[in-house]
Amino acid sequence: MSADRFRGFVFNPADLSEDVDLDFERRREILFAHAHVGDFTHWEVLGLAWNATPEQARDAYREKVKVFHPDRYPGKRLGSYRARLEQVFRRLTEARDVLTSEATRAAYARSTAPPDEFARAEARRLDDEERSRERRARLARTNPLVARVGRVHDLIRRGKQKMADGQFSQALNDFSTALAIDPSLAEAKELAQEARKRSSADKAKDLWDKALGAEAVNNLELSQEMAQAAAEADPTNPRYPVFAARLALRRGSLDAARSQAEAAVRVAPGHGPAHEILGETLAEQGDKVAARRELERALEIDPSLEKARERLKRLRWSFLG
Amino acid sequence: MSDIEPFVGIDLGTTNSVVGTVIDGVPRVIASRTGQILTPSVVAVSKNGKRLVGNIAKRQAITNAENTVFAAKRLIGRRWGSKEVEDARKVLPYQLVPGPEGYDVRAVLGGRTFAIPEVSAMVLAELKADAEAFFGRRVAKAVITVPAYFNDGQRQATKDAGRIAGFEVLRIINEPTSAALAYGFGKQMEKKVVVFDLGGGTFDVSVLDIGKSVYDVVAVGGDTYLGGEDFDRRIMDWLTFSFAKENQGIDLRQDTMALQRLRDAAEKAKIELSATQSAAIHLPFLAAAGEGKAALHLAKQLTREKLEELSKDLVDRCVQVTERTLRDAGIRPVQVGEVLLVGGMTRMPRVQQAVKQFFGREPSRGVHPEEVVALGAAIQAHALLYPQKDREVLLLDVTPQNLGIMVVGGYFATIIPKNTTVPTSQTHTFTTVQDQQTSVRIAVLQGESDKAIENELLGEFILDGIRPAKRGEVEIEIAFDISADGIVGVSARDVDTGQRQSITVTATSGLTENELRRILDENLDELLERKQSGELERLREHSQAMIEEIQSLVPQVREALTRSHFGKDALQKAEGVVARARAAIASQDLQQMAAAEEQLERTVQLFKGLAGGAPVPGGEA
Repeated sequence: MSADRFRGFVFNPADLSEDVDLDFERRREILFAHAHVGDFTHWEVLGLAWNATPEQARDAYREKVKVFHPDRYPGKRLGSYRARLEQVFRRLTEARDVLTSEATRAAYARSTAPPDEFARAEARRLDDEERSRERRARLARTNPLVARVGRVHDLIRRGKQKMADGQFSQALNDFSTALAIDPSLAEAKELAQEARKRSSADKAKDLWDKALGAEAVNNLELSQEMAQAAAEADPTNPRYPVFAARLALRRGSLDAARSQAEAAVRVAPGHGPAHEILGETLAEQGDKVAARRELERALEIDPSLEKARERLKRLRWSFLG
Repeated sequence: MSDIEPFVGIDLGTTNSVVGTVIDGVPRVIASRTGQILTPSVVAVSKNGKRLVGNIAKRQAITNAENTVFAAKRLIGRRWGSKEVEDARKVLPYQLVPGPEGYDVRAVLGGRTFAIPEVSAMVLAELKADAEAFFGRRVAKAVITVPAYFNDGQRQATKDAGRIAGFEVLRIINEPTSAALAYGFGKQMEKKVVVFDLGGGTFDVSVLDIGKSVYDVVAVGGDTYLGGEDFDRRIMDWLTFSFAKENQGIDLRQDTMALQRLRDAAEKAKIELSATQSAAIHLPFLAAAGEGKAALHLAKQLTREKLEELSKDLVDRCVQVTERTLRDAGIRPVQVGEVLLVGGMTRMPRVQQAVKQFFGREPSRGVHPEEVVALGAAIQAHALLYPQKDREVLLLDVTPQNLGIMVVGGYFATIIPKNTTVPTSQTHTFTTVQDQQTSVRIAVLQGESDKAIENELLGEFILDGIRPAKRGEVEIEIAFDISADGIVGVSARDVDTGQRQSITVTATSGLTENELRRILDENLDELLERKQSGELERLREHSQAMIEEIQSLVPQVREALTRSHFGKDALQKAEGVVARARAAIASQDLQQMAAAEEQLERTVQLFKGLAGGAPVPGGEA
């Protein structure tokens, strides 16, 4: 029983000299334990090292309660030591309850880990992750089934990443490949559709920019070509065929203008400019009745279409004249 | 060991009680003065006003059912008006009345009312007398066992019973724990033990983790209204029902004497069926058939199968309680290292089968199911009085039920949950619920229901002097404390003002401290009375012996007298003396008997002289 057992704890002489039926060593033991009821960890209370096993905790508890259970001092005068014993006993029981249950013990061990232990545990955790990744990769190489699943998984992950980066055509490529491996994959199907839509809209926009550029430098032929390509790439936007038809009209190729204008009306029957350009083309071609119908329709949808209004006026006059 | 003060451990059972002790480190049961291990927990007052306890009381129960109290344990610490008491009133042949405060239950015996702890005390006093006869000296210190599932009120009442009987109750411990203690005594073991205790009136399950001589109770469960008596009642119901069917609807339940005979027969048949497949029940002249007709007899054959069918739900209930308790303990049946069977009812093959099925292992039968609890109590008494380094034993018991208070809306707020190791303490802060509230009533309850009213009220007190404030602003801290003795202490403190109120929850056995003191005083009188009755007994026996001697001498004396000239009236005189002595014995009067004894003594001397041919003293003639 070395003095150092009590870690240099300073005992109150009044407590040590209280008139009770306990020997000196036992008094010191009780006083020391009682003084640390509040600040000791569950491990320290039971005299255990950090992360001791539930079995060790249970054994330690059994040894400790033999000292600190009030029943161990029958018929003895305990004075203030009785209350101290009971408090220490409660503390021991509390520690036991936490440390003997695997669930609570693990959580407590994490929260009380010493700094170096914590670092070590963290390193071990990262290590574990690295190792499990390697293991997965190895498995993927050797097992065809796992490899296939792993590959599909990888493709979809990569495709999603490309979608996020705006590389829609490349994303579409990945999703299509994934679908080729596993055609039943609903997620891949949806993603591929979305990628296709986004990718063609993207492409059409690109062509449209080129068309505008060509028009600016008065290369009307190239501009029309580009606008037509844009209309093909993204058939949902009426702006592309309307532009292509207008260019064709300007260049005097009436057939091309008509097919583009018709396409525009087909795509967006409620789009004013589409009816306008179709009306203009029909007027040039000499079909005045059809032209007037289209132009009236265009104005009905959008009264601000000046070109349509003017053309319609001219048609009426000639009709009158 | 003879220099140490004797002590006992007592298993105060519903139907039978046992007393044990430890001698030279070996636990053993103490047989009664008539040589029996089991003392029936039966108390009666005979027709001539004498108090009878144990076997004598049980034997006369048939002819004196209204004045014979059995199964008092089922009523101890219970409240008047509770479901348990109401149920008991329907089936018990003796009368129950409420106590003066209207809370507790009293039994009527020989025209006097007795608190239930008083009745139990009579059984304890009998066991005490047996132990004192065994040791040849006074025995005061005792550990008494109760079902693990007993609440604080029932424990307190049992402790009061011990005090009334003249014991210094060292500790009230749980029966299953006690059984485990006896089972593990002197063995080095490290395992989880389940004690399955099906006694006369209560069912208990305890899960213990034993190691390094520490008996750590992990969880307890049970049903204080499930036991052998319920099995008996099933048989009785079956008998009365079939009897009514065969005899034009005669209801035997109206006849207390028939009922008592049925009860005895049912118990006997049940015990018999543990060993045999079929038991015959014969009760001749059980009921009168009406004027001019022969009395009715009951003759039935009860098979083991039929008994199992009648009691199937009771056995199922045992299994359910066991399942729940194991869940509370957080262990699976396969993790259990040993299953102990305790209580007479575990002799029933169907019960053993159910236990075996549930745990998937053979239960232990190495211990005597009826004695083991008393032995464990004795071991604990020994450990509490004389802790030893080599044979140390430490019991860590738990609270059997949630302990808490009533809160707004009639709900029950748990402060110390069940299965908490004692000693323990816990505090909880509550707030006021009304503006300007200056006092709060704190009702301390024990039980498992969320609703306060469904739990057992242990006591209540009022904390006043609270600083007036808006509701919710004042905080009241309530501290619960359960000592190693299992005594519940509660204190309430106004956090701001420091105003304090506390109670030790004690007045729940229905006996106030004053009443208890009165009973203890009365018992002292009784003790004196008993001394007197001992003297009476001695006189009676001596007188009777002398009467016999006189009678045996009569032929010789008559012969001697034919040869004599005097003393012809000696025989008549002797006859007179004998008649007077007999009258004195019948009167139970100490003085008359003492006088009669003197006369008898002289007559014996005279007769001996005459028979031996010695001259008759002249004075006598």
